[in-house]
Amino acid sequence: MKQFGKLGGLIPWIALVVLILIVGSFDTTFLKPATLIGLFADSATLFLMAIGMTAVIYIGSIDLSLQSIAAISSIVLALLIPDYGMLAIPAALLAGVLFGGLSGVVHAVLRLPSFIATLAVGGVVTTAALYLSDQRSIQIDAQPRLDTLSWAIGTMFGVPNEVWVSLVVLAVALVIEQATPFGKAMKAVGCGEAAARVAGIDVRKIKIVVFMIAGLFAALSGVVLAGRLSSGSPIIANEFLLPAIAAVVLGGTSLTGGTGGVLRTLVGTLLIAVVRTGMTFVGVNVLAQQIVFGVILVAAVALSTGRAPKGVMK
Amino acid sequence: MKSMKSRWASAIPLFVLIGLCVAIAVLDPKFLSLGNIGRIAAAASAPLVLALGATFIILMGSIDLSVEGAMAFAGAVLAAFVANASGTGFDIGLAAIPIALLAAAAFGCFIGMVHVYLKVPSFMASLGMGFVGIGIATVLLGGERVGILDQNVRALALTRVLGLPLSVYVSLFMLAVAWFIQDHTRIGRHIMALGGGEDLAAASGINVRRVRLLAFTIAGMFFGVGAVLTSARLGASSALLGSGQLFTAISAVVVGGTALTGGKGGVLQTVIGVLIVIVLNNGMIILGLPSFVQQGVLGLAIILAVLLNSSGRSLAIVK
Repeated sequence: MKQFGKLGGLIPWIALVVLILIVGSFDTTFLKPATLIGLFADSATLFLMAIGMTAVIYIGSIDLSLQSIAAISSIVLALLIPDYGMLAIPAALLAGVLFGGLSGVVHAVLRLPSFIATLAVGGVVTTAALYLSDQRSIQIDAQPRLDTLSWAIGTMFGVPNEVWVSLVVLAVALVIEQATPFGKAMKAVGCGEAAARVAGIDVRKIKIVVFMIAGLFAALSGVVLAGRLSSGSPIIANEFLLPAIAAVVLGGTSLTGGTGGVLRTLVGTLLIAVVRTGMTFVGVNVLAQQIVFGVILVAAVALSTGRAPKGVMK
Repeated sequence: MKSMKSRWASAIPLFVLIGLCVAIAVLDPKFLSLGNIGRIAAAASAPLVLALGATFIILMGSIDLSVEGAMAFAGAVLAAFVANASGTGFDIGLAAIPIALLAAAAFGCFIGMVHVYLKVPSFMASLGMGFVGIGIATVLLGGERVGILDQNVRALALTRVLGLPLSVYVSLFMLAVAWFIQDHTRIGRHIMALGGGEDLAAASGINVRRVRLLAFTIAGMFFGVGAVLTSARLGASSALLGSGQLFTAISAVVVGGTALTGGKGGVLQTVIGVLIVIVLNNGMIILGLPSFVQQGVLGLAIILAVLLNSSGRSLAIVK
């Protein structure tokens, strides 16, 4: 949103405050800190996936397979918890990293456009998820759930653990993005691949690792989701793709890559959460809410193309 | 003059199709029975029409991810104008079909406008608007699966001529329309030109915006026909009418040999692609494989097909 100058980065935050006040004026209980923290906790799984999506969009690509990856990680978790306990968590995350890496290889090495590469890999992941789960949802029993997943579903200092997990992930992602050579290389790839390559950056490696990171965060989102719902299922994250992309774009990370970041995705996710709560409050059907998210997504992209490079728009 | 290699490459999908048929027939001769071939034709009718629509967009070098949303929207409009199980709406019989097609074309046109005037990349415009279509359909249908009672509409799937349901003839007719648009109209040639190189096309005087708008409108109309055929077969309309069709349509176009970069391929290639996808599915059912394996197989097929079609762009930046 270059046309708004330095204020551009603040617009999503201002919109967030205004929206919270609007919803709050209908229902004052909405403004209580407990309600707002609860809202954040409920959007934590979406936020984790959106963080992964941010990394991919930051380098100018897109990942349409993250919801399938979250689903398969929830299934791996639910299948392994009875026998392996805590070890099920790294296994579920590893599944996400592997499938993310597969997308990365198909995109960066085989040179397929990322949207088609991830659409195709998403199909493979969905089939794997349906195969592993035998096409049903797998329950996680109450006791093993408490033993292995209380870090994700309990509360600490009166705040739900989903919030703490989100904050830790946000901090880690922020450090990677802002303070490591890898973060700089990501930005370089997003700003201009050709220039990045000339500057000696191994673009392929960066891309593959970014897709692995996205897979990791999507898998983490699947693990937390499985903890919240006490089950793993092949359709557990089916309504997540659109809000996740919308959260990233709404926060101000440009689809063309190189600008934005995880902090902006935080405000984007909160905006989505407030809009969703507002709509639920007024009684809008969950599927019908897609109208609003679809329009928001398109509008946010349209507004941010002010800084898109000139040229052919496919 | 095409090089020998590229001529062979464009024939690969046909060989794959023949190879698949032979392999499945060897494993189970039932595959070649008249009854099964009829089943394949009936199963291919709606996917063919949908894939034809998507072909125009992909030929242009863009992508349309709105297939499921456009179908949901058109299906909901159809249900609103025929005798339906919910007892509401306007019962105007067969006249509902042109209205549904118009609605679908308008929906496609709107995506084209978002893409062209707001400068939103086509995959994002169609992804976002596709979700909007599903949302609108949900609202129109009240979140329900609404039965379609009109027997004239249902006849598309139930009445058989020469052993094949009417929907097969409708899809063949749409194939003829698509082929005519592609090879014998100005808009068809302009779509090809855009896919070959948009800068060049614009420089030679083609109104790029108009072509893009028209292409998305045409695609929307085809998705509408696909929606009508699908709801006739199911005897109902719902917001999830097009579930899974996006994946089938895109893979059919790509597997048939139309390049994602645009300008290469066409509607006849798409016919081969649709047949590959449907035969694969039919064969897996005959061989007793669970149906969910299809998505994984198609995913791998997409990757392979794009790879085969991507020679000569190894230096380009791929996002």
